[in-house]
Parts: sequence; structure tokens; C-alpha cells
Amino acid sequence: MKKSPWVFHVNTGACNNCDIEILDLLAPKFDVERFGIKLVGSPRHADALLVTGVVTAQAAPRLREIYRQTAKPCVVFAIGACACDTGIFYSGYHVVGPVDKIIKEIDPNAIIAYVPGCPPKPEAMIAGVVKALSTL
Amino acid sequence: MNQRELEDRLAQLEDKLITMERRSHNRISLQCEAEHAYEINRFLFEDVHARFVIATGIDSDNCFEVLYHYSYDQTGCVITVDAFIRDRVHPSIESIAPRIPGADWIEREMHDLLGIDFLHHPDMRRLILSDNWPEGVYPLRKDAVRLESRPDGDPEKRPLDQMKSPARRTINLSKPILPVGPFHPLQEEMEYFQLAVDGEIVTDIDMRISYNHRGIEKISESLQYDQVPFLVSRICGICSASHPLAYVQAVEEIAGVSPPERALYVRTIINELERIHSHVLWVGLAGHFIGYDTVFMWAWKYREPVLDLLEMITGNRNNYGNVRIGGCRSDIPNELKPQIVKAMDEIEKKIDMLTKAVLDDPILHARLKGIGVLTKADAIRYAVTGPTARASGIPIDVRRDDPYAAYDLLDWNVITQPEGDVFAKAVVRLLETIESIKIVKQAVKRMPDGPISVEVREIPPGEGYGRAEAPRGETFHYVRSDGGNRPVRHKMRAPSFVNVPSFKASCIGEHIADVTITLASVDPCYSCTERLAAVDGNSKITHDYAALLQLSRDETDRLRKVMGPRRMDGEEG
Repeated sequence: MKKSPWVFHVNTGACNNCDIEILDLLAPKFDVERFGIKLVGSPRHADALLVTGVVTAQAAPRLREIYRQTAKPCVVFAIGACACDTGIFYSGYHVVGPVDKIIKEIDPNAIIAYVPGCPPKPEAMIAGVVKALSTL
Repeated sequence: MNQRELEDRLAQLEDKLITMERRSHNRISLQCEAEHAYEINRFLFEDVHARFVIATGIDSDNCFEVLYHYSYDQTGCVITVDAFIRDRVHPSIESIAPRIPGADWIEREMHDLLGIDFLHHPDMRRLILSDNWPEGVYPLRKDAVRLESRPDGDPEKRPLDQMKSPARRTINLSKPILPVGPFHPLQEEMEYFQLAVDGEIVTDIDMRISYNHRGIEKISESLQYDQVPFLVSRICGICSASHPLAYVQAVEEIAGVSPPERALYVRTIINELERIHSHVLWVGLAGHFIGYDTVFMWAWKYREPVLDLLEMITGNRNNYGNVRIGGCRSDIPNELKPQIVKAMDEIEKKIDMLTKAVLDDPILHARLKGIGVLTKADAIRYAVTGPTARASGIPIDVRRDDPYAAYDLLDWNVITQPEGDVFAKAVVRLLETIESIKIVKQAVKRMPDGPISVEVREIPPGEGYGRAEAPRGETFHYVRSDGGNRPVRHKMRAPSFVNVPSFKASCIGEHIADVTITLASVDPCYSCTERLAAVDGNSKITHDYAALLQLSRDETDRLRKVMGPRRMDGEEG
């Protein structure tokens, strides 16, 4: 993946924090659109999914469906502690995640990158994306 | 009515009660058998005019309890009706939702999580658990075993027929249905709306949540008292100061501790900084929804210095983890004070500019006035709180009515507007932001030196209520302790849980183009709404939200053309 990555944002049961920090990336202070990173409105346009949240029972089938719809190869970024390993909610009865488990059920070879933090700072997200893209 | 008269009034209920307990100067608990609960609720809501806050279902030793919490805002009194349901096999109680629409969702939630039947409830569909959650498994019961394999939402296991699904629609399917959600990049969170439309006019709205339900109330029962604040600050990322504060106040009420004065000021400052960044965030999103992206960019830029301050004080931009039972974890160093005041001065200018731009803009007047009106009567019926209530002319604010932290030591005003439309909500939020800036400046100036926490060793058995005014409205936490080191029941009610159902009153009759901004006007927060425990049942991804947004923006453009071009006055004045 050499050119501008387009990303689609999926919230699968996050507390909103990671999501707001993702939106903050687009706001003037961080402004990732400078680098051609663009939030798109459809998974079919996306090179990468930014997934936040624990993956609840109700969200899991929707996450699978969205991943199926993306053009491959598609990098999945698990943003935040919840998406990486369900975080503080690990014992919740309605939690079926984490993200990698759900994605790997339908695509064992999926490329998954992890950006831990609660929430990860916008700088950490940018660093994570750069690191992942430079190894691919 | 003052507190004395209120108590005399409640004494009229005597023959229906088991006991009436006066817990403190503004906490009253009424205990009754389930069959009298309906009449008592009716009396409190319709005759005493108390505001319905929430209900808590509890799986007790030999019965189920349903606790109805009311707030009598004139005296800041919390009145709780504790109804005992003795039949453990088929627990049931009369529904109060037909009289109090604000109780609709919470009764559905208790039905989902505890298996209590609410007789004559108008719409007992599944609300909070997933479509494929097995029938008859009630996670909040104490004997609930952990499911061996949690329902993972495998498409093959999903009921094929949507109508058989517990979450089936109520909307009349013969009318055209416009699905909204559950995923769209502009909806940060998942929610699924179905709008029934007749031409351009919305005739009905149905909502499905559950996408964000994590089961926090159950998790809280497995954590120690001191660990819970870290959990509840993650109910919602934007209210991550108010939720722990409300919880901590509830536990402090049980333990009878009062934190040192400096801690009260630290709590006030952090909570007001949170309100400033949250309201500014909302202004940005609202601008975006009606096609003023410049406002979005400005607002989000002005919010950054506030986040930087919070990071300096607590070490994190969000999820501050700063309150503890008995005080605060970290202090605001005195060296930071000038920096805080300077940042507040700067942001005040920007907010002033934004406020003037909004109040003077004829296009915004045309676009937002008279849109999505929530009348005062509806606001009371749906028991809404926060800016949503204040913009409908209901002067409630927990900071003033039942003071906590240092709010009663500072000078500030409660902002209200009578109209109830989207414009009024915007005005309330903008003016409130200016009040918050005022509060922070005063608090920084008056903060005394001294310790920031007292040690709390044990939490005795008892019940406590904690309330805090989050940016979106009143956050309510109820904690019951049995003297152990974990709460036996911890109920949390976030403001959006009562604000979101009021869409039924404010969206119907609106044009489709106005729906996005109406939905956004209560600043809904779904992670809050579903704290505990999209796409429709066919798992079809819809993107009609984009279309709706486009419609909303086209409407603004059209007005702009009609009214002539007008530049939004430049950001630097």
C-alpha cells in the first residue's frame, strides 16, 4: 500500500472516546488529510478499517459484514484498549470481541494492526498508521 | 412546596406504604408492595409533579425489587419508591409507561435484564440485548450463569424472519420506511432509526439500540468500590468526569464522608472543563450537519486548548480517572492556575464570536427556528434533562438544585430558553459554555490550599444516590452496599437514556431534511444510553444517513440562495 490510504470508521461498542479522537485527527490541529488519509463513507471505498470498541453481540455480525464488503487487501486497525483486547469490559456478558477474533473468524489471514491506549492519543494513532503502512 | 410541605404531602400515601423513611434532609425512601406501586407513582408524577428519573430493578434475597427514583427539583429531593415483588417465579408489576412515557425504555430494559413482566406496557419489545440473545436468560439476576458460548451473532443462527425476531418493528410496514444507520462515519456511534415517511414528512420513528451495550452494571458488581470509578468513566468518553463523580458521591453518601474543600474545587474545575469541550464539540457537529463545515473546523480547533489543560491536570485528554471516594487522586498545582485563566480568557473570545455568529445569522434562524420542537409538556412527560430540558423552558440543573462539589460556593446562572426548538438548544449550550468559563475562572481564584482527600476505610451497608450535571444532563447513580467491598447493585442512568426517546415527540411532523439536526440537537450519546448490558435483522448496511445529510445541507444551500450570500464573519473578528 503505497498511496493515500482511505479509511472507514467502525464503532463496535466503544465509549466514544476513541471515536472523538479519530474525528479530531481530521480537525485543524492534526489534520491527517494533509497526508491523503481520508475518512470515507462506504467500506467499499476503504483501504483500511478503523475499528473501535469491544465488539458487542449485536455489533459482531455487522462488523463481519462490513469487513466482507471491503476491497482486499484491507488493513484492520484495532484502535484503543477495547478493540485490542476488550479492555476493562472483558467480563461483560454482551461482549464477544476483541476485534481480531471476530475478523479472523471470516478471514484467518486478515492483516490486523493494534493501537493500544485508552484512548490512544491522536499522535499515537498517526504513529500506528505510519508504522503499519511502512511494514506492508 | 418546600421540603416540609413535600413530606406532609407524601404522608397522604401512608395507607399504601410499608414504611416511609427520611434518610437525610433531602432523601426520602418509600417502601411498598408491588400492587400499590402504580398508584404511588401516579401520585408522585401527576399530583406532586416530581420528575421521573429512572427505575432500578434488583434481584434481592427472596424477592425482586423495583425502585422508582424521582427528583423533586424545587428542593433537590430524591424520592425513591421501593416496590417488592414477592413472586420470584413469575415476577410482574403494573407498567407505569402508559402514564409516564419516560419510563418506557427502562421497563423494557428491566424486562430484558431481569425478566420482570410489566403488565399493560405498550411496547414490550427487546431493547438492550442483541437480536440473538437466548430467551429466558437474564444477565442481571444474581444466579445468572455465564453463558458457555456467548451469542456471537452468527448470521446462520439469526431468525430468518425479521418479524419473528424479538426486535421486530412496530412501524406500519405499508408506509415507506427510511432506514438510518447503524453505521455511518458521521454518526460516531451505532444507532438504528426507522423513519416512516409520508412524502417529505416523517410520520413515525422507531429506534433500535443494543449495539453499544457492554453490561457495565453487571461488571461493576464484580469490582471493588475503588476500582469502579475507572469503569464508569468509560461509560462515555465525553462524560468521563461526571459519571465517576456521581458514583463517588453516591458512595460518599453511604459512608457519610465529606471530601476536603480543595477537592471540591478540583472536581468543579475538571467537570466544567469537560462541559466546555463537550458543548463546543456539539456546536461543531451541529454546524457540520447543516452544511457549515467551517464551524466544525473552528469549534474543534477551539476545543483543543481545553483538552491540553485537562491533560496537564490529569495526565489524559479524556478518561481522567481523577476522583476517588473521599476526594481526588491528583491536585491542580498552583503553578498551573495562571495558565488555566489565560486559556479560559482566550476561549471566551472565540465562544463569544461563535455565539454572535449564530445569533445574528439569518440563515441559521431560518434553518433552526421552529424546527424539532419539544414542548414543555412533552419534555415533562419524557422526563428529559440537561440542555434538552432547559431549552424547553424547564429550569432544572442539578448543580443548583442539589448542589455538589463547589457549585454552591460560586456565582453562575442557569440558562433557559422557552422555545424548545433546535435554535434554543444551540443558544442554551453556547451561553452555558460562557457560564462554565466563568465558573472555572472563579474556582481557580477561590480554591483554598489544603489536602485533596480523606481516607475512607469501610463502606457500611446502605444505599446512596449520586447526581451530577453532565454536559448532556443529569447523571444519576444509585449504589447499594451490604457492607462488603463491592457494590451489590449499581444502577447508572445517563442523560441520553431519557433524552433520546423524546425524538418520538420532536421528530414527528418534521421534514426529512430537518431530521438530522433534530436528532443531533439533544447531543445523543449512545455509549451512555446502553451502558449496561446496525443494521436491521437482515444485516443490510444502509447508508441513507448520507442521503439525509445531503438533504439537510441542500436545504441550507437553498435558503442561502433565497436569502442572498452572506459571509460568516471571519474567525479573527
